[in-house]
Amino acid sequence: MATKSSSPSYRPCEHLVDYKSKHSTRGFRVLQRCIVVLPPGRPSVRTLSCEEDPVPRCASCAKSHGRLYACLVCFTISCYSSSSSHARSHALELPGHELAIDLDRAELFCCICNDQVYDADFDWVVVSLAKCTSFSNGRTAPPLNVYSRKRNRGAEYKPWEPSSKDPLVLERGAAPLGLRGLTNMGSTCFMNSVLQALLHTPPLRSYFLGHRHNKAACQSKVCLGCDMDDMFAAAFSGDRTPYSPAQFLYRRYLFLFSFLNSWWQHAANLAGYEQQDAHDFFISAVEGIHANSQQPELRKGNDAECRCIVHRVFFGLLRSDVTCTACGFTSTKNDPCVDISLDLESTALEKQIYASSSTLLGCLDRFTRPERLSSSERFFCESCQSRQEAVKQMSVRKLPVVLSFHVKRFEHSAKNYRKVDTYVQFPLSLDMACYLSSSIARLRHGNRLIFVEGKGELGGDNDSGSTSPSSEFELFAVVSHSGKLDGGHYVAYLRLGGEWYKCDDAWITRVGESVVRATQAYMLYYVQRTLSDESSTTIPERFNQHPNLVLDEKIGYTSLLADAVQA
Amino acid sequence: MRASLHRPGEDLHKRDEPSLQEAINLKLVESGEKEKLKDLLRERLIECGWKDELKAQCRAFTRKRGRSNVTIDELVRAITPKGRALVPDDVKAELLQRIRTFLLSVQF
Repeated sequence: MATKSSSPSYRPCEHLVDYKSKHSTRGFRVLQRCIVVLPPGRPSVRTLSCEEDPVPRCASCAKSHGRLYACLVCFTISCYSSSSSHARSHALELPGHELAIDLDRAELFCCICNDQVYDADFDWVVVSLAKCTSFSNGRTAPPLNVYSRKRNRGAEYKPWEPSSKDPLVLERGAAPLGLRGLTNMGSTCFMNSVLQALLHTPPLRSYFLGHRHNKAACQSKVCLGCDMDDMFAAAFSGDRTPYSPAQFLYRRYLFLFSFLNSWWQHAANLAGYEQQDAHDFFISAVEGIHANSQQPELRKGNDAECRCIVHRVFFGLLRSDVTCTACGFTSTKNDPCVDISLDLESTALEKQIYASSSTLLGCLDRFTRPERLSSSERFFCESCQSRQEAVKQMSVRKLPVVLSFHVKRFEHSAKNYRKVDTYVQFPLSLDMACYLSSSIARLRHGNRLIFVEGKGELGGDNDSGSTSPSSEFELFAVVSHSGKLDGGHYVAYLRLGGEWYKCDDAWITRVGESVVRATQAYMLYYVQRTLSDESSTTIPERFNQHPNLVLDEKIGYTSLLADAVQA
Repeated sequence: MRASLHRPGEDLHKRDEPSLQEAINLKLVESGEKEKLKDLLRERLIECGWKDELKAQCRAFTRKRGRSNVTIDELVRAITPKGRALVPDDVKAELLQRIRTFLLSVQF
């Protein structure tokens, strides 16, 4: 349905012609003052409400629901329905008053012809209003094509032809989508590395690239969700020509700054230019996105119930079983967790029994081992009705979609302020089956007990397991720290298209798997195998054949802030 | 020509006893909740494909009758029952829950 009012086949009804000849555009211009544009770009008529009655009502029957029309000549509001139409009776009583405007939709209606009518001057009025409406958070209504009748739907349909630049982009686009350096704005590598990981978290990527966070409808002025949306759009724009870094560097600088700004406003206690902890940043970024979630009906203060995007993606359930050593009664608690923090240090005794903590699996073994609580930590056993010594064991009750591990390398206690440099070996593919609550409990009871609580452990959106999840995960991002406690440096490694890319602030380089395996991992991000892009082990052919890509080739992003400032 | 779209005076005596439906509607509009609910409903109906489905139905109806033979009134009359029937149950439930919660919160 293209420009009806301007297309040659449309003929306005006699009443419209009549009205236009008598009043021309006077009525429309008066109406202009009454039309408001509600987000996201819908024009509607706002009636002046008085205190007792904010609702517009039909002048004859006081009905306030259904379709209401305001006469263009005398502005009487009347109701309209096919059975009883006071709008129609008004038009019949008073000749010349046939035209009315729909209050909800700001559309012209002829009460005698019982049909919507279209007028180019009226469209102009509505559209020009929409153009200069900006919403409270500074975002304007989407631009409307003035000559198109489709006022609410944005641009007119145009068939797409590739421009001269497009084939070039496709050729050079052998590098993976969304790969783009992030400038360091003063010790912000802690942030850059985590952002790189978030940019390539598959469910988060789909969420933001799918515009599930609607910027136009966003209520908050400072919104981490909106800035994430901006960042995703920029990172995946395909814009990364290495030969003209200045122009998009400046834009990158701008939106990165706004992200920083909104994050700093959100995490005021972490603000400052000193090096911060990447894990702290990750936690506060997750909290920030949760807080700005646009679906408040899904957002709950309770971590276990909230269904906002970050909760759905990152949160799993950890189960803690405390067993009384006297009577064997076990008290169970399930706690939501955004990631699993793993200790590196182990006592001498532990080193003898368990696999050394220098592998991720070893750390997980330690994490889920039965731990005898000290006598100072005795718990109150309900069946013994007294304080008893107990054994505590952790297990994973429900796996999240994205499983993130935090290797506790930094100790910031009163007595100790240090970094543990122990190398931790980590697998590319991880099977969490033996750490699930069902497996742990089975082991604990020596396979005698049939564990019935097993359903729902494997994550997915509902416990009925309709999404056939598994306990297998694929690694997609690593955040590693090098150097000393103060003045160290964070980098991120991303796994895309079967290759690994080192993201060192604005410098992105392709690296071999061995480099990644040897790095000092601080945070590890695994995604469920079914959602991973990388679960096939074959390297795509085009990467092998592409003439420009050799190992360690710099994809070419500059980090000259001076340029950015001048640009 | 007055810009005011409110016609005071004669109607007041007709509205002495607001029905329950009217009272609820008033409450919803006053607090701005109605607008939010409408936006939520719009979003949900787009998400679940209802809007596209209805659009297709409207197109089919118009095509059958011929574009110049359809008035908006007839279209609305024909499509409304289908539209109502096609609203998914979970959307209805969500909206009802929202309204219920709201009414409880304003101590209705």
